[in-house]
Amino acid sequence: MKARALVRLWSIFGEPLWIVVSIGFPVLSSLALSLLYYSIGAGNYIGFAVLGGVMVAFWGNVLWSMASQFNWDKQEGLFEIYLTSPASITAILVGMSVGGIVGTVPTAVIVTAIGWVLFHPAVAASWGAVAITFALTLASLYALGMTLSSLYLVYGREAESMNEVLQEPVSMVSGLYFPSVGSLSPFPFALQIVVSLIPLTLGMDALRQSLFSSPGFVSLWVDLGALAVMAVAFLAIAAFSLKALEMKGRRDGTISVRIR
Amino acid sequence: MISFRSLFASAWMGIQHDLAWTSPPAALVLRTVAPFASAMTVSIIYWFGVTHSGLTFDPARLAFILVGSTLYAHVASYAWVPTIAIAEGKNLSVFPHIYLTARSTALYVAGRALSSFAISSTTSLAALAVAYYVLSGFLQTTIILTITPASLLMLAVALFANIPAALGLGYFLGAYSLYASKFEWSLPGYVAGLLMVFSGALFSTSILPWGVSTVASYLPFTLFIQASRDALIYGNLGDYLTSLGLCILGGVGLLLVSLWVYLAAERRARRDGVLDRRLA
Repeated sequence: MKARALVRLWSIFGEPLWIVVSIGFPVLSSLALSLLYYSIGAGNYIGFAVLGGVMVAFWGNVLWSMASQFNWDKQEGLFEIYLTSPASITAILVGMSVGGIVGTVPTAVIVTAIGWVLFHPAVAASWGAVAITFALTLASLYALGMTLSSLYLVYGREAESMNEVLQEPVSMVSGLYFPSVGSLSPFPFALQIVVSLIPLTLGMDALRQSLFSSPGFVSLWVDLGALAVMAVAFLAIAAFSLKALEMKGRRDGTISVRIR
Repeated sequence: MISFRSLFASAWMGIQHDLAWTSPPAALVLRTVAPFASAMTVSIIYWFGVTHSGLTFDPARLAFILVGSTLYAHVASYAWVPTIAIAEGKNLSVFPHIYLTARSTALYVAGRALSSFAISSTTSLAALAVAYYVLSGFLQTTIILTITPASLLMLAVALFANIPAALGLGYFLGAYSLYASKFEWSLPGYVAGLLMVFSGALFSTSILPWGVSTVASYLPFTLFIQASRDALIYGNLGDYLTSLGLCILGGVGLLLVSLWVYLAAERRARRDGVLDRRLA
């Protein structure tokens, strides 16, 4: 786990230009949507756009550096080496997650700093709750990434297309930039229930509550409880499906098939 | 020298690349999802911001945002295709075969961009139509769009008029990709983000700081979106023609400069032997 995390960290921090490159979309989309809130006279919600910019960096990292990673590793011939090494695949995935989280922190900090300097969004934070919420959101989000990573192993070129299909709709329904669950949500209740199965949705809801309002004890802790359950469940699903797919790959002889 | 055969072959390859990984209709539907979701997101932000700030909901403003968001996504999705065509081509060893042929790779890049333009035009307009109906029902409002044969013709002309500018941007990014072997994958994010901020897609460029707003208002992409709004929302032929003319003028200028840069980069890249370099 430590070895895989260090590889990821070295690939990011060993090339500082990489940080400059990776902040592009989170910073600019956050800036654009903050300006949208500002231009329509709803400046009091600019904090939602800044928070969305921070979390879109992690969501992008989950999709492109977790979900797709094994698929790319397979194309490059690395996945066979993982399987033949004595290391557990789950440990490798956890290492990738830890490296991804730490590697994305600079982007998150820069988005926050730029949003803060330019717009001074109003914050009424319970910082303890924010820290717990942030940790649980990332844990469940990266556990989802591990699950997707195992599923994407089945695919060839389709994996990248699936990522492109997933990125925007999930950003929308999970309420990266506006509340998608709760009393402020524009969505019907049934849809709110469905989208609550995505960890990002509950994470964003809990983060908004703990950062921008005095959260109700029950509503916040319900979100946090659900996030914790999701983190464990996705981790278990990822471990199970990876094992199953590895066995299938060994049986069918497709583990070393690089491009389909 | 322009070879239409090479151009069409490249465009056809692009269509195959983008749509043939599954059944083409399914690929088109899946490609409509992202611009639709993007348009829905910014439209809901407008609705949410206005509703919960005690402001008056303006359907015309919603139409402004809806059209802008769909068209910025359209431009973003095909302007960076040259970058990806080169980067992916180098990674999968397709690009070295392209440059071994007698033609310049500029034709290949143009063909790929044109195929992507055709796909993106289809999916963006489909996304606009679906978002229009979904938002109308969802927000229970009438979004003010003028859909007539004349307005659709004006929109189609505007879409084509923007090709030189988008291809020009593509050549600039492509020139970088010829040399890069690491960071080119994240250029699309920059392109999409810059267009969101500076093309007047979501808000008027006049809210940007002085100087920046002047430059942004004369960008071909801003003028293209403005012309499309004149066609679909305001119905102002004079403003439409002005925006269209400036868009073409700026676009052709950008294309000529960027093509010169790309060809120079290609010559140098051949000399330096980096065209088949996969990884740094």
